[in-house]
Amino acid sequence: MPPLNYFVVESPDEVGRVAYERIAGDVLQDLDLIKVIDRLHIYVDPKVPIFVAAGLLRHMPRAIRIADFANVNRGENEIVLDIGDETYLAPLLQKLWIIYGKEHVDQPDRFTVVLPVGMAGDEDLDRLVVADPSETLYKDVIYALQYIAPEGFKVRRQYIREGKFYYVASEDTLPTDIVETMVVPLFEKMGVTL
Amino acid sequence: MTTLVPVTYKGGVYRHDEIMDLIDDLGGYIVQKHVMAQDVVLQSFVPRDDIEMIRRIAKPLAGEVVEAPLVGTEIAVVSPSLEIHHLPHISCDIAEYLRRSGAKTNMVGLARGFGKRIANLNDEERDVINEHDLAVYALGNFEECIRQKFPALRREIHVPIVVTGAPDRETLMQVIDPPVEGYVGGIGRIMHRFKRPEELGKLDELVDEVSRALDARRDALAKDPLSVFPPRLMAIIEEQIHEVSMLTHPTPVTAQMEGLRVKLPYDSYADDVRSLAVAEGVTVGDIADVTPSRMRNYILIRIKPFSETRILV
Repeated sequence: MPPLNYFVVESPDEVGRVAYERIAGDVLQDLDLIKVIDRLHIYVDPKVPIFVAAGLLRHMPRAIRIADFANVNRGENEIVLDIGDETYLAPLLQKLWIIYGKEHVDQPDRFTVVLPVGMAGDEDLDRLVVADPSETLYKDVIYALQYIAPEGFKVRRQYIREGKFYYVASEDTLPTDIVETMVVPLFEKMGVTL
Repeated sequence: MTTLVPVTYKGGVYRHDEIMDLIDDLGGYIVQKHVMAQDVVLQSFVPRDDIEMIRRIAKPLAGEVVEAPLVGTEIAVVSPSLEIHHLPHISCDIAEYLRRSGAKTNMVGLARGFGKRIANLNDEERDVINEHDLAVYALGNFEECIRQKFPALRREIHVPIVVTGAPDRETLMQVIDPPVEGYVGGIGRIMHRFKRPEELGKLDELVDEVSRALDARRDALAKDPLSVFPPRLMAIIEEQIHEVSMLTHPTPVTAQMEGLRVKLPYDSYADDVRSLAVAEGVTVGDIADVTPSRMRNYILIRIKPFSETRILV
């Protein structure tokens, strides 16, 4: 596995530790998150029972704007958007429908969108934010951890903000000070403060 | 009396009916027939002395005959959960591998089987598992969890059990009390399909362990034989009740070691099955219990031993 800068799995049960190292590797690889996660520390203890994962993200992808995947050609009567990459076409149309109204957004073929000139918001069209991959990335990272955690651990607490994330899960109710007692020490081991 | 041994025949579709007729003529039984595109797999029982002859006749058809220890058995692969976000499940690989050795496997995903404290088994799951010849429990990675949850998962299960888990065989033997019939260590929760040689080796070990557990049962059966050999009763049912041929199930009649599962609705067909003549003056009702199965609305036939019926067909 992975070119993570730091990857540690800790557990009092050695067999389980090795198994969870494999599981974490497989899941991160399957969900294509190896490039996104920089450091990851997992602690599992079935006796408590507790599963804690803490880590850092490498970098957050920036917001996708129209200029990133389309050319904006301004004519006299109309603006023609020449789409280079279809990936974000659906969210783009959604945004345009809100701004211009459905009847003013014309799409003669897959790669062309025609808009009327002279409506509000024209000037900044190139800079219009169409999608924010970091939104789904948050979900993907948390989903991966949910995936890695033991199946019976249904009670959980999760956090992801400013490049740091943690995920705590247990079969029993989590104590209120779980972050201070379990999560903060893991971040300290990675040389980071939460 | 000739001894029938379980074998698998693998060959092409072309002229495979000749092999089927041959097995029939030799006094053998075909328990399951799979046609997959150009290939045919026949799970069957054939007389031991005639295996060589079948091999010889199958040779020009590029067919091969291999011994398959699990033919004629129905095995439950029990997993504490079959949740979608934990796929691929190892129970899928286990079930598939046991199928290759001839067994008919059913996956049983428990509704509340996860978690060491909260794991439990409901009455339907219990009854369904008890309808099989053997149950393989595919457990997880932690010794502690297996120790705590296994007693709940095996409660009132009477069929032989083979347990798999990540801890090694010795540890499994230690944590499971009272002992079960088989243990395979080194197979826990794995998030990929089995592909490495050591992983496939574990599956072979599992097949050995399962056949060993079933052999013990077979030995016991040999001492007090069943009133009729299940595949024989299967052939009679398939011949006499023509609705069976219209079922779309892969195995409309499933052979077990001590009975059969007939995939017809119990309410409408139980009496027909009971009154079916097996031989002169002997009906199915005389030599077997015909009961409703907990699996859908199927019929479960449990053949009684000779000592009880004094009839041997």
